[in-house]
Amino acid sequence: MNHDEAKTILMLYRPGTADADDPQIAGALALAKREPELARWLEEHSARQEALRSKFRQVTVPAGLKEQIISESAARVVTISRQRRNTVFAAVAAMASVVILLIVLSSSWIPHRQNDDNTMAIYQKQMVGIALRGYGMDLTTNDPAQIRAYLTQNKAPSDYSLPAALQKAAFTGCAVEGWQNVRVSMICFRTGRPLPPNQSSDLWLFVVDRGSLKGAPESNQPRFAAVKGLITAVWAQGDKVYLLGTEGDESAIRKFL
Amino acid sequence: MADNVEFESLVARYYEPLYKFAFSLARDEPDACDLTQQTFCIWAAKGHQLRDVTKVKTWLFTTLHREFLGIRRKQTRFPQVELKEAAPELPAVSPAAISRLDTGQMLDALARMDDVYQAPVALFYLEDHSYNEIAEILKVPLGTVKSRLARGIGQLQQLLARDIAAGRNPQPPTL
Repeated sequence: MNHDEAKTILMLYRPGTADADDPQIAGALALAKREPELARWLEEHSARQEALRSKFRQVTVPAGLKEQIISESAARVVTISRQRRNTVFAAVAAMASVVILLIVLSSSWIPHRQNDDNTMAIYQKQMVGIALRGYGMDLTTNDPAQIRAYLTQNKAPSDYSLPAALQKAAFTGCAVEGWQNVRVSMICFRTGRPLPPNQSSDLWLFVVDRGSLKGAPESNQPRFAAVKGLITAVWAQGDKVYLLGTEGDESAIRKFL
Repeated sequence: MADNVEFESLVARYYEPLYKFAFSLARDEPDACDLTQQTFCIWAAKGHQLRDVTKVKTWLFTTLHREFLGIRRKQTRFPQVELKEAAPELPAVSPAAISRLDTGQMLDALARMDDVYQAPVALFYLEDHSYNEIAEILKVPLGTVKSRLARGIGQLQQLLARDIAAGRNPQPPTL
């Protein structure tokens, strides 16, 4: 092994980790002990690496993320149990029970998340993320009455009021999503634009109780914003907050308001 | 077997390293939260299919990485910059100069690297993973991981050296 080969190998060396157990690295480290020039290079390289590693360590995890993961996954588990009741009911119900129990326990043992996590902006991105990344439709139907009944039955917001243009859009179904221990109604539509083969919807409405969102709009006038490649409109009416999203620009969404 | 892994303890054990990996890739807090959460949602739905409980960690990181790639493909909102071949010698960027950078600048440089190097380099610096684990997470052979790491580290340092020389400020994530 010459110096250049040793340097190439030692570029991957992370002091203080199990990397030194790697035979190639162990050999290169042994060479560095014998060769002062290589040792100097290694010392400087290690210091540079440590500076970079410290930057990654400085990434801080938002408060409340763990509780949010648990609560939202619990909502999903409940949904799955409905969908697969006949086949996996016992297993899923047991898991849901455990998760719900943990939520109840965590509400008394773990300090509540900071209000900063409860922002409208994060809610908006989370819901748009659900629409973009693919989701399981709980109910597939073009009947608005069935959708409302399903959401009522599953204790999700169902006393919503839709803009006149949206009432005329083609409904495709709905799902119940979770947001920090509250249920969110997701109502799916089709705009009429051509869609990829595996996609049935391209317009999504999320409805949540206003009290669950810090910084929620108070006006019934829509506020537009591009979020993750979708154009969104947010407005409030009564005790509900509405978030509508689709692809395109503001004009693409205005026609449904 | 995976059914025996308690969900909450799984979350408690892995949500922080998963979030840090997600943040390294996405550079945006809500996106990173979303990726982390989605990873556990997929676990809740499909984790029971995993037979070898010792693979939970790599399964979670692999899933998060796939989700990130899927979202990025859909959104094409992470512009890529074509880079020349990494120089055989590392650029002369001092550890002190790196220390003066903030995390955002470092992640900005990571985001400008070739796609293929971003995830291995992030996993490398996060230090929770051996080379074998990184290979398993990314589903590539060990030798490929090592060569990608060597080239990726070179690219990162090259970019940082340019940024430091140019006095560049971190770029906000593109939404």
